Amino acid sequence: MNPLTTESILHSFPLIIPEALLCLVACVLFLGGTFRPGRHLWGSVAFLALVVAQIVVSTTPPRAFASSEAARSALFSAPIWLDSYGVLIKTLALVGGMILVLLSWNEIDDHHAPEYHGCLLTIIAGLCFTAGANDLVTLFLALELISIPTYVLLYLPRVEATAQEAALKYFLLSIFSSALLLFGFSYLYGLSGTTNLHGIIDAVAGQDLLEARVVPGTLIVAVFMVVAGLGFKITAVPFHYYAADVYQGTTTPCAALLAYVPKVAGFVALVRVLGFLPYNLGAERGFGPMATSQVSMLLWILAAVTMTTGNILALWQTNLKRLLAYSSVAHAGYMLIGLAVAPHINFRTGPTALIRAGSVDAILFYLAAYGAMTIGAFAVLACLSSRERPVEEIKDLEGLSRSNPGIALLLALFLFSLLGMPLTAGFWGKALLFLSAFMVESDPTALDGGSVARWFRILAIIGAINAAIAGYYYLRVIAAMYLLEPRPGEKPLPRPKLSPALVAVFACAAITLLLGVIPSLLSNRAQKAAEGKVPVATLPVEQQQAER
Amino acid sequence: MTFDQHLVLWLLGLPLLAAVVIASLGPQRGILIRRISVGVSLLSLAMALLLAVRFANLERAGLHDTGSTSVLPGTFAPEFVPGSTVASPHSTNWTILSLGPGSIHFYLGVDGLSIWLIVLTALLLLPCVLVSWTHVTERVNEFYAWLMILQVCMIGVFLSFDILLFYVFFEVSLVPLFFMIGIWGGPERQYAARKFFVYTLTGSMLTLLGMLWVVLACHQQTKVLTFSIPQLVQLVQSQLADPTTRPFWSTVQLGVFLLLTAGFAIKVPLMPFHTWLPLAHVEAPTAGSVALAGVLLKVGAYGFLRLCIPLAPDVSLSLGLPLLTGLAAAGVIYGAFTAFAQDDIKRLVAYSSVSHLGLCMLGMFSLTAVGLSGSLMQMINHGLSTGLLFLLVGMLYERYHTRKISDFGGMATRMPLYACCLVFTCLSSVGLPGLNGFVGEVMCIFGIARHEWSIAGRFPILAVAACTGLILGAWYLFTMLRGVLFGPVKEPEHHGHAIPDMLPREWAAVAPLALVCVLIGFYPQPILRTMEPDVQTVARITSLARTRASEQANAEGTSVAVQDETEKR
Repeated sequence: MNPLTTESILHSFPLIIPEALLCLVACVLFLGGTFRPGRHLWGSVAFLALVVAQIVVSTTPPRAFASSEAARSALFSAPIWLDSYGVLIKTLALVGGMILVLLSWNEIDDHHAPEYHGCLLTIIAGLCFTAGANDLVTLFLALELISIPTYVLLYLPRVEATAQEAALKYFLLSIFSSALLLFGFSYLYGLSGTTNLHGIIDAVAGQDLLEARVVPGTLIVAVFMVVAGLGFKITAVPFHYYAADVYQGTTTPCAALLAYVPKVAGFVALVRVLGFLPYNLGAERGFGPMATSQVSMLLWILAAVTMTTGNILALWQTNLKRLLAYSSVAHAGYMLIGLAVAPHINFRTGPTALIRAGSVDAILFYLAAYGAMTIGAFAVLACLSSRERPVEEIKDLEGLSRSNPGIALLLALFLFSLLGMPLTAGFWGKALLFLSAFMVESDPTALDGGSVARWFRILAIIGAINAAIAGYYYLRVIAAMYLLEPRPGEKPLPRPKLSPALVAVFACAAITLLLGVIPSLLSNRAQKAAEGKVPVATLPVEQQQAER
Repeated sequence: MTFDQHLVLWLLGLPLLAAVVIASLGPQRGILIRRISVGVSLLSLAMALLLAVRFANLERAGLHDTGSTSVLPGTFAPEFVPGSTVASPHSTNWTILSLGPGSIHFYLGVDGLSIWLIVLTALLLLPCVLVSWTHVTERVNEFYAWLMILQVCMIGVFLSFDILLFYVFFEVSLVPLFFMIGIWGGPERQYAARKFFVYTLTGSMLTLLGMLWVVLACHQQTKVLTFSIPQLVQLVQSQLADPTTRPFWSTVQLGVFLLLTAGFAIKVPLMPFHTWLPLAHVEAPTAGSVALAGVLLKVGAYGFLRLCIPLAPDVSLSLGLPLLTGLAAAGVIYGAFTAFAQDDIKRLVAYSSVSHLGLCMLGMFSLTAVGLSGSLMQMINHGLSTGLLFLLVGMLYERYHTRKISDFGGMATRMPLYACCLVFTCLSSVGLPGLNGFVGEVMCIFGIARHEWSIAGRFPILAVAACTGLILGAWYLFTMLRGVLFGPVKEPEHHGHAIPDMLPREWAAVAPLALVCVLIGFYPQPILRTMEPDVQTVARITSLARTRASEQANAEGTSVAVQDETEKR
């Protein structure tokens, strides 16, 4: 084996310290739980583990390579590749994990708590792993690390028939999607002879292939299968059927988890596999082979259909969790706009690109915004709901602004953010995605520049109209809270006491507002990350070798 | 920062601060909340007036040379920009979000197009507060907090010179009004609030796309990424002056014009998109109606003036002029007839808004300097007189809990002072010479007539429609006056309460507006003079578009003629 290759594999291990830490703590939880129950104890352990992992992630300096050759070799052989995009996704995963731990704190009884939090940590570890996966095998492993504990989580807290049904439905469909994904992966391997993601990209992206602008049929099949398999995770439209039933059947924290974690994982995996995130070694820049008009067209259709279907189905929902489920389908559609645009943007942006903002960073921003507002909305429901007075339907929220003005305001904030109102994170998310759709035109040398630009403008208009449709059903919830009086004869919802779940609500609200007022906090980093710049040391090569 | 920049910031900051304070006071402390609101509205009025006076006395260098024959027209030059430097007093460096080479700025300022609308907004806050004094008794803190937030949004729209910041204020203004209509409105309030919100949201989402498009088109052509409205206007003008880029810009302008129009036409509202308006007006509480009619509708017209015409001048001329003047003229007549058919006074006033704003759009899309000034005048006047009308209708409703014309009769004998106010307001609304309405209406009609006479051999149908609208306006308003104030006394059931004439609090709400009506009617010069340079900027943009269009027509005409000649041979 090439010494550089061995070295790069060895270098991968320090990159997964946070994941290893989380898995280790998960094992402690599984074992320790048999000796001692207690949700406060194990909840704190899990939270602490996530905090430590976050500290490790944010303090680890990016690995600098001695030369661009070393970097290239690592890129094409390492199973784990951690660029700044990956670091940001890991941060999203860990912060999301902390909020989810807080949210689930009191929802779980003492006996189930260690297992529950153990599974949660494993899922978050899987998500972090996905962020850095640079190989089909690692990627699949990471995705399964998310899926399998999710099955357990869905079974754990509840024994009713609806919960069982939800878990079973999710299990079967998830297995099915994994099979599709593996099928696609096998084709990719067959086409390129390697499992390394960059290797695949290079192998299929033969110069002639790009110039001819044709894609072999097998590649289309592979991409189709990969998109289908990951489409399940992001609830893209023909694969969205499970969402409403599963969200409704399971507990609120589990629904929040399902709405967030698989979606982040799915989008990151799509960005990586389709090669939409170029690497940047000085002047040299790698592009995805799948970045062709056929793939873009597939994603275009998926985006348009997903957001429209999600929004239209949400119009008829009266159950809050079902409504949020369809809204999460619609939001996947908005994010798919960014994905569909990616080939046309990344292909043209050289190192001298004028606009750094592209589509991949818009997706990242949207994921953060979406996570804050959706988990926040679920967290509000979890705070309000109690065994005596469950909050399931929209009408359960009637007159909430009278009985609970504070919490009603927070839920309204999350809903306005989902709607895309300015001054909330959701607005900038949508604005950046629409901006990327209009940016396709900005370079006449882009792939199919002229006619494609028109299609993306149409996609943006479809998105805008969808956002207006969505206004209708989010407003229904807001109207129930603010415009209606509490129903006579019914006890008003009790004011939630200060609990970890309430802290989760506050955290989500803070993120939503902060990103809404100062979007550059995240967007600047996301733009930098989307450049895919690989840090190459400025030290002369000889000196590096001497040191070695 | 200079004193003026502080003023600009505090115009936004003060109501925002007040909203937070009021909301946190809790619903029980109504008196305190109302006093704070009155204080805030007086203070913001004082600040706005001070700003206007200082702006009017400003020597605006470089903007008065309207006679110059340079190829490029000037662009908007906002004054008092917070965050500006001495080197570039008309731009700011306060960044909200940076996107590579360009950024979205927190770019506030004042120019001739916006200053009087800001004063109008500040002026209308006081009546809004006073008229809700006894009307709003439930959830007092929420009501006044939303009112203050609405104030922030409306002033923000007029102050913004960054296209996305403009959109932010434009869009957020929906939220407070949604709650004001939905919580304190009439029996159909929920439906009205939701229809209002979703209808305007649909338009404004498309508007957002239009804004993004023009920004990115400028970036593609000039490699300058900017969200600043003055800079965008300048870039678009310089691009249009270059014949080689025209084919590209004709597509972009068409798209931008249609997308921007989608949002603004709903907001104005132009005729087929007006259906949310009567509903929202009728259901809204009086303060909501006053704010909606007085200021919020102007946001649509202002958007046309500030963004649509300067950023898509050619299409505004070739498509906007026939389409929008046609719709506006139809709206003038339709609004007037529909208003006449109403029995509910509030609904009548709402339809009269459709009619009056049709006139305003007619003047604007004549695309002549006098028409543009007239439409800006008409915006201010409509805000004053329709605001007054809604206030007075609200007072009547508060006394009798009905607004039906058929329930009233001879009220002039019961409430003579009220009757005086109502007659005065109607006279101002129909445009009696010597009152404010006359100035704007006449200028609008001049504008549209000048445009039509410039086309040889064409009957001035739009000008005739505008005049008819005025006559019809007098017809339905005086019919309403006759029914309510005069004739045999017919008083609705009021459960034995003594019905007072105008209260001191109500005088305080009505008198300032009425005073301004008279002032503008007698001496509109200060307002016209301050808006003149910026109106000229827009006018020059449109006149260049006319020149381009006639050049193109000539070129095509000659080619057609040559073709004919050759065919004949």
